[in-house]
Order: sequence, then C-alpha cells, then structure tokens
Amino acid sequence: MTATKFVTLGDAVLDEQFPLVDLALRRGRHVDRDDAEWFGFLRDAEDVLEPFYRRYGAELVYRADGYYYLLPSGDKLAKRQLGVPEMLVGQALTLLYLDPANVEQGGRVTREQLLAHLATVMGTDALIRALNPKRRKYDERVAQETVRTRVADALRRLAALGFVEALAADEFKLRPALMRFAEPVRASADGAEALSRLVASGEVAFAPEEVGTEVSERPDGNESDEVDEEPGPSEDRDAPEPTNADATAALDTSDFEDFGFEDVEPGTELEESDEAGVLE
Amino acid sequence: MTVGAARDIDRGPVNDRAEEPSRLIENLAGRAISLELGSLDLCFVAALRLRSRTGETTSFSEHELVDAFRDVCALTQPEATGVARRGTAAIQRLRDQRLLSRVDGAGVVRSGAYTLTRLATSIVDFYLEEEALTGESLTLLLRTLHASLLELREQARSATTARECSDRVVGPLRVTIRDLVDGIERRQRGLDLQQERFQQEISNLLSADWFDAVARCQDLLEETTTTLRELNAVLLRDAHTLVTLLEDIRELAHERGASEADDACRRLSEQLERITAWGLARQHTWSEYYQYVHRYLRDVVRLDPTRALTERLRAELGGKAGRRYSLVVAAQPPLVVPREVTPPRDRPPLERPRTEREKPLQEAVADDRDHALVATVQAALTGGARTLSSVTEAVVGPMPEGERFSTAGRVAEVAARLAKAESARERPWTRADEGIWIEEWSLTPSANEG
Repeated sequence: MTATKFVTLGDAVLDEQFPLVDLALRRGRHVDRDDAEWFGFLRDAEDVLEPFYRRYGAELVYRADGYYYLLPSGDKLAKRQLGVPEMLVGQALTLLYLDPANVEQGGRVTREQLLAHLATVMGTDALIRALNPKRRKYDERVAQETVRTRVADALRRLAALGFVEALAADEFKLRPALMRFAEPVRASADGAEALSRLVASGEVAFAPEEVGTEVSERPDGNESDEVDEEPGPSEDRDAPEPTNADATAALDTSDFEDFGFEDVEPGTELEESDEAGVLE
Repeated sequence: MTVGAARDIDRGPVNDRAEEPSRLIENLAGRAISLELGSLDLCFVAALRLRSRTGETTSFSEHELVDAFRDVCALTQPEATGVARRGTAAIQRLRDQRLLSRVDGAGVVRSGAYTLTRLATSIVDFYLEEEALTGESLTLLLRTLHASLLELREQARSATTARECSDRVVGPLRVTIRDLVDGIERRQRGLDLQQERFQQEISNLLSADWFDAVARCQDLLEETTTTLRELNAVLLRDAHTLVTLLEDIRELAHERGASEADDACRRLSEQLERITAWGLARQHTWSEYYQYVHRYLRDVVRLDPTRALTERLRAELGGKAGRRYSLVVAAQPPLVVPREVTPPRDRPPLERPRTEREKPLQEAVADDRDHALVATVQAALTGGARTLSSVTEAVVGPMPEGERFSTAGRVAEVAARLAKAESARERPWTRADEGIWIEEWSLTPSANEG
C-alpha cells in the first residue's frame, strides 16, 4: 500500500480529517471502510503516519480484513485490556459475524440475538458466572438482569471502539474489526503458539485469573463509564506496565460487593425482590 | 394458510378519492371488514382462476364449481370425505366474502353462473404471478406511458370546451394512465420480494455449501445489481419527461376549465416521484448489502474454506480452550482543557440612593378668584345690569364652559351682597346662559353696597 496523497507528515497533519482520526485512534477506535472518509485518509496517509505513531511507541496497524487501529507497544500512549464482558460479547459478535445466517440481514443483529447466542454457546450458568464473578449463590432473576446490563454496557464500549455500529437502541451492525477477536484462533487449531506471538507483540494480554477486572463500580453502586485499569496519562508514562500479578493485587475486590448479590450461607432461603429487574 | 379477503356484504369498495386516511380507516372499521381464507379456499380460487385463463371462460356453472373443488380436494386432501358438502360450504364462504359473484340473475329459475371477483383475482394473482420489474418491462411500460401521455396532450390541445376536455383527457388519466403506473408499482413490489428471496437464498446457500456457494452467491448479487442499475437509469431518464408531460396536460385542461384534471395529474405526478424515489432507495440499500456480502465472501468464506475458524472460536467462547486473554486497545483519555478563570468582581454593598426628603418651596401666584368675581359683578352692575340674569350672563359668558354653572350660584351670592335684590311673589325662571336657568331678581345697586 502506498500513499498517493500525502508526501510529508505536515501534509497529513494539515488535512482536516487528521485531528478527528488521530483522537479516535488514540482512544482505541478501529477504522474500517464504513468510516469512508477516515479510512480514505488513513490509506492516503499511512506511510507518513506509521513513523509518526512509532515515535509515540505505538503501531498503526492495518489488517487485511480492512480496518486500521493503533496499538500502543510502549508506555508513551495509554492502553488497556478489554474486560471480561467485552471479550465475551466481542467473541460472540465475531461468531455472529462469521455465521452465514446473518448475511441475509447484512450483518445486523439485535441484542436479544446476541444474548441468545451467548447463552447457547457458553451455557446460561457459565454466562452468569462469567459476568458475576465471586458470587457463590445468587438470585437468578437479579443475576440475569445483571448479565443483560453488562452485555449492554459491553456493547456500548465495543461500539465506541468501532467493533460494532449502533443502529438503534437494540440493533447493531457487525463490523470487520470484530475479526481481531478471532486472531488468536485464526492461524491453526493449536492456538497456543499464535497466542504467544500475539502476547509478545502486545496485541493481547492474558486476563487475570479468577477475577473480573474491567468494570469498576463507584461506592454508591453505580458502574463507572470508564474502565478501572485505564491509566491516566501521567501514571501511565511514569509507571511500568502492570503485570497480571500486579493487576490482581491492585484490584480491590470490595468494588464488586454490591452487584445486587449477597453471599448467603448454605440452606438459607432466598427472598424474592419486589422490584423486578432492579439491582438491589 | 390464511390470507386476506374483504368481507362486506352491503356496501362496495372504499372510494379511493375519499378525503383522509383516518376517515378511510374509520370507514373500514365501521364496516367490520374481516379476513378469512384458508389454504383450501385459496387453492380453490387459484384453480378457478387458472381454468378461466386456460379455458377462456368468464363464468362457471355450479356443476363446474363443484368439479373444480373436487379436483382441488383430490390433490390437496385425498383422504377427505363429504367433498360435495364441503364444496357447497366453500362456495358459500367465497360468496359471503365477495370472492365469487353470481352473474346470471336467473334466481331460482335455474342454477346460477358464477365468476371470480376482482378481489379474488387480485389475491390469487399475487401467488400465481411473478411480476418483477426488469429493465425491459420497465422500459416497455414507460414507453407506453409516454406515448399515452403524448396522445392525451394532443387531445387536451384540440379540446375546446371543459366537457370535451374532461371526456377526452381526465377520464383516460384516471383509468388508462393510472393502470399503467399501478402496473409499475405492482412490479416494484414483485422486485422487492425477489430481492428478499435472493438475500434469503444467499444466506441459505452459504449455510448449506459454504465455500462452494461463493460463485452462485456472486451471480445472484450481480443479477440484482444489474437489474437495479438498469431500472434507475431508465427511471432517471424518463420520469422527468413524464412529469413534464403531465404538467402540460394539467395546464391545458386548466385553461379549458376542466379543473378536475388538477387532481388526477397531481396524483399521477406523485406516483411517478414515488417510483423514482423507490428506485434510488433500493439501489442504495442493495449497494450496502452488496458490499457487505462481497466483503463477507472475500474475508470470511474464502479465508476460512472449512469453517474451522468458527469452530475454534466457538470452543474458545465456550471455555474449552486454554487460558483466557484480552485484546489490548489504545486508551488515551480525552485531553483536559481547563476552563478559563475569570477573577471575581468586587461587588459594592447594597445601599439606598441618597435623596432630599423635603422638597424646596416654590413661588406661586395667589389664586384670588373671589376678589375677581366681586369686581366683575360690580362692573356689571355699574354697567347698568339690573336683573340677576343679565348680571349672571355678563359674568359667566366669558368663562370656560366647565366653570359657568358652578360660578352662577356665586354670582347670585355676590350680587345680593352688592345690590338690593328683589323678586316678585311668583319668581319666574329666566335663561341666564346656555344651559343655565335661574330665578329672576331685580337688583338696585346702592341699597346693600358697602
């Protein structure tokens, strides 16, 4: 791929698309052909922008599936790992993207379809456990509501990252960047080698075991909009990249104490809540 | 299968020139329109329709109807019993729903002849006919429409009276031209259905054959894309000419006083615009779908011919794979732009403005009206006035109108002080001024003076 329009970095920076595309890339946005103007700009400016972002310790990546994204490899640009809900939802969306049944709708799926697919592939119990960590017993109705809430939240975050496009309140269009979720299993049946390679390149990181790390809650019980481990600009620059052990140690598990569940002793009878669907 | 059939025994179809959609809906609701047509009934109607086409018959005898029903039953429900009885019931159902009408008018004299109504043929044609719009059929229809409108424009030019214009132009506009435009719209719906089927077929082909279906999917995509491209080219080329022709006809009819042509031309113009908009919208939608499927074929199907990727990803999501991982994404927080600080202003304490409480005294001319009045009365008496009325008239005459009445009483008081006043036993009322009547006194100046 060669740049046809921008000879120097100055030309690219002076283009009216640059500020928006630059900000979007730094915030983790994946840019594909559906973002026609941004994609065209990146194609034209690719050769001059790659060395530009390399100076920030980041790689401007183009995938053959037809999308760009910025991958920070050093510590100059902030980065984060996707949380458990985002990963599960992203992988389920990728399965839907690969499913020929969705070709009829042009890649449009509803949230209900996604939830049904997640429940089918993972099993309802596993899904609830995955999205409600550290709960030995739970009220089924509240747990299901929590799953729905977390899936909706994950969808919103994935839409902000350019993996899906929100068409209506409950309808989404699947985008090619979803194929990133399939990268670790793309190369061969034994994905361990591919995974190691991706971890080494900084594309993926092993998730902390046992603990859901991505969604923080404020002391009042409301979920914050931002992800917990997202470092601020200064701390990210100064501090070394946290290891898995650091992430686990740094996590305050009390943050997860009020998701609407209570640890109960075995044999205790659970009471029905009067307010359907409301987190307690 | 159950499809719609309008049941309305007492009244005819809704007038499409009726005013508002809400009134039309109310009308339909008020007439309790109901729909009930089972699969067997539909097949029966379809059989009659096909027989009428092939045999070129316009009506069926009762015997023929029962025969047709028997044949349909033999095909669809070979085990059924009591076919004749069921046939009679089916015929009655169709008649009740105005799908079958008796046309002989013989009543009880002999067995009747029946024909399918327009409602029945419309329903069954939807299932029997494949009327999809193609570049050829659209070109033919538009060419016919163009020729008909040219003819109507000439008719409108040659018409001399409103009646003549109405007969020659408005009638054909409402029937012939509208039928042609309706034909285009009907075929549009056929093409919409065809596209829907293609989308479903592409999905089914990929589900069934995956990699082997790529070529067939591409053919289907190309076929519809070519058709839509042709349709839009034809529509964009001809629609403007047709609308211009309609406008000419409308103006000519208007000049000749046939104002009802306005409505007919407007409706047809709207239909043509709708057809053009339909073409553009479908091409846009199909273009999106086309790109998506092509990308899917290229990036998904061709790169994963055995669908192994799906299976591996499914295993990964199902927790059957190894250790869990997360994607890493850039997450630069938004730039912090502090608000500009403006120093607070020193507000002075609230206080009442200082003002002079006592207003300074001002020089004023004394208002001595009494003295002036005495002088005026005295002057009148001196001037020879010897009656109260003459004195009053002399004094109040020069005054402003609003002061005259109130001054008249004071004149009497002053006159009585300055002169001796006398009156007769019967004191007559005398006019002293405009609107002032007083009791008359005679005045003698020297008596009370001083």
